[in-house]
Amino acid sequence: MKYLRALWIPFQILTYVLMLIALYAIFIYAPVEKTMGVVQKIFYIHVPAAFLAYLAFFITFIASILYLYFRDSKWDTVAYCAVETGVIFCSIVLITGPIWAKPVWNVWWTWDPRLTTTLILWFTYVAYLMLRRAVKDNRRANFAAAFGIIGFINVPITFFSIRLWRTIHPVIITSRGLNMSDPMKLSLIITFIAFCFLYCSVLISRIKLEQSKMRIAEINGIMDDMYFNKIA
Amino acid sequence: MDNSIYLFAAFSITWTVIFLYIFRLFLSQRDLNRQIIEIEKTLHKKIKADDGPEYGASF
Repeated sequence: MKYLRALWIPFQILTYVLMLIALYAIFIYAPVEKTMGVVQKIFYIHVPAAFLAYLAFFITFIASILYLYFRDSKWDTVAYCAVETGVIFCSIVLITGPIWAKPVWNVWWTWDPRLTTTLILWFTYVAYLMLRRAVKDNRRANFAAAFGIIGFINVPITFFSIRLWRTIHPVIITSRGLNMSDPMKLSLIITFIAFCFLYCSVLISRIKLEQSKMRIAEINGIMDDMYFNKIA
Repeated sequence: MDNSIYLFAAFSITWTVIFLYIFRLFLSQRDLNRQIIEIEKTLHKKIKADDGPEYGASF
């Protein structure tokens, strides 16, 4: 634990450095695509953000199963924090997608299978967050865990939607690997790694914060009990 | 094809969203630190009140 704490600051510095390298790779190293022009560079944040949203919901899925099995509130906290960060990245996907689509497809939005399933995915996990607020403390974790497991069904549907149905959404990951030139591939990989570090950094911070909140609420509860016992 | 405005919009919105979220985390952390200080103060007061007046100090 002590070593992990010591590694926390270097990890954050590394994240920062990687983000700078990623920006260099996107704007300077990666070539401009011939047909779409500079707008294609949106793809370097759109794709990693989509992957991180899927990863976040996968973490929620696993943490929800672990919560139902072990009944340890730690897993419920992990699931909750992963959903929150996942919704942030899914929102980025839903914002950057239409910004890319407008100059390329000439429309902001179309009811394409990939776009529609991603929107449903976003609504599903926003509903998860709303459910947590609506349900009382004693039942909240159980409901959220069940929702976290069932809601994950949307993730493979969204990922495979471009293969299952006819779509105009570009297919990047094919059976022959990444469908792009080498400098673009390298830039995407660098951005991917940088975003993964950023995601880990944000998720760990969020989990720590939530655990501190719970601990303080617990201490406040104990102190209130002490105060009332004294009065009684 | 010059679509720099779309590129600028996409990147600025993405970074704004990420920074706003991190700023929200920072504000929550600051609020928690404030609560911890309040708890410490309350505990000190309680401990003092439980110990009673320090008679030995005047001698």
